[in-house]
Amino acid sequence: MAQVQHRSRLGIWLDVIFALFIRGMQSRFNDKFGISWAIIQPVSFIFILSFIRGVMNGSETHTMPTFVFMVYGIVSLQFFITTLSSSSKALKKDKPLFAFRQVVPISSFIATALFEYIVKLVVIIVLVIIMWFLGIELVLKDPLTVIINFTLLWLLALSIGIIFAISTAFFPEVDKFREMAQRPMLFISAVFFSLQDVPQEYWHYLDWNPLLHAIELSRQAAYPSFGAVGVSQSYLYGCTLVICFLSLVIYKRYWKQAISV
Amino acid sequence: MIQLNNVTKYYPSSLGNQYILKNISFSFPENRNLAILGANGAGKSTLFRMLAGSEYPNSGTITSSASISWPVALATGIHPQMTGRENTRFIGRVNGVLDLEEYERKVQHFTELKHKYDLPVRSYSSGMRARLAFACCIAIDFDIYLIDEATSVGDQRFKKKAKQSLMNKSKNANIIMVSHDIKEIKQFCDSAVIIEKGQLKFYEDLEDAISVYRKL
Repeated sequence: MAQVQHRSRLGIWLDVIFALFIRGMQSRFNDKFGISWAIIQPVSFIFILSFIRGVMNGSETHTMPTFVFMVYGIVSLQFFITTLSSSSKALKKDKPLFAFRQVVPISSFIATALFEYIVKLVVIIVLVIIMWFLGIELVLKDPLTVIINFTLLWLLALSIGIIFAISTAFFPEVDKFREMAQRPMLFISAVFFSLQDVPQEYWHYLDWNPLLHAIELSRQAAYPSFGAVGVSQSYLYGCTLVICFLSLVIYKRYWKQAISV
Repeated sequence: MIQLNNVTKYYPSSLGNQYILKNISFSFPENRNLAILGANGAGKSTLFRMLAGSEYPNSGTITSSASISWPVALATGIHPQMTGRENTRFIGRVNGVLDLEEYERKVQHFTELKHKYDLPVRSYSSGMRARLAFACCIAIDFDIYLIDEATSVGDQRFKKKAKQSLMNKSKNANIIMVSHDIKEIKQFCDSAVIIEKGQLKFYEDLEDAISVYRKL
């Protein structure tokens, strides 16, 4: 009969994340359309919105090509929203698997979020290829900051997702609230405008939003002439750190109860 | 082998917390095939799931040096969109099986699914699904197997086969069993633990336990 190897706790953890990740791929992309839809949907969305913005103010927006401007906004927003909603559903989706003692909720959160990260990387590669064909000049002055901001966004979405997943396990109504709260994100996160388009006296309605900071800072990092104002890298770091810490505290305290109810 | 340290488990309800175990410290004796007996609602299944690590006590810990299976007949981990083989590999990876290919072959052979093994589980009959779940568990070497409703798997012939393989297992490994079927318990177990009013009591001799259980 099959021998079982002795693994360290970290080894078990990595094996489980890997197994969940493969399982996610196999179960989500078992139809041929599934994998292409994950790519086509954001790409088509960007096309429509950048077309609208292009009609409004030509091919350049704050010294950036309008298409690239929209790409930063929409990819970041979608990345945030999909990571948030799939990680907040991860607990419920993988609940049957917690029957295996090795599978703990944090593994399924990480596997789910990792999956979203990779899907979005593919989306970005597709978009870069499209831009190359469209003849848009691609400038990426400070790629490191862009990658860091992208990853911070991911961590932020994952942390908020964990908080929602755990609270949904106790109060199912919370999930409705999350769906409602996600909707206005498109309009308040500087997706198709920049904070510099907004009069300064209204900034305090918008600048609490770390997503807005991430998007504007990424644009600034890619195009130094963009001229982002009213945003701060340390605010983004601080926000992510605090929310990440909070989510881990909540996770540590409640995960056992959350899978036992 | 399995040690319960000050374990409390309750379910919140509108009538207040319903306690299943209250500050229980108990050690399951070694090298025995145990039956867990108790009236309906006494908490047999909850205790069982806690032993399996599928659920956790509200306070206290459950420790064990032995490797414990998940409940044998449990089919919840099987994903309907994935093939039998993919499901097997998932379970193998999670449990740290060394040779996944060998494990796959064993499961395929045991389930008698043949070529259907490479079809999505949603195309299986319920009996075939149960066979797959059973085979995935039995093909891994555990020290302790948790068995509930083991003999309700598949058709008459497979039931016999499942029973036989569990019999073979019980020679080298131990079994903890939950069942209302006294005949089945007598086949597999030699001692019993009775759960009643939040207390656990060990009975060396199965016959004693059964006579107590009948009076419950």
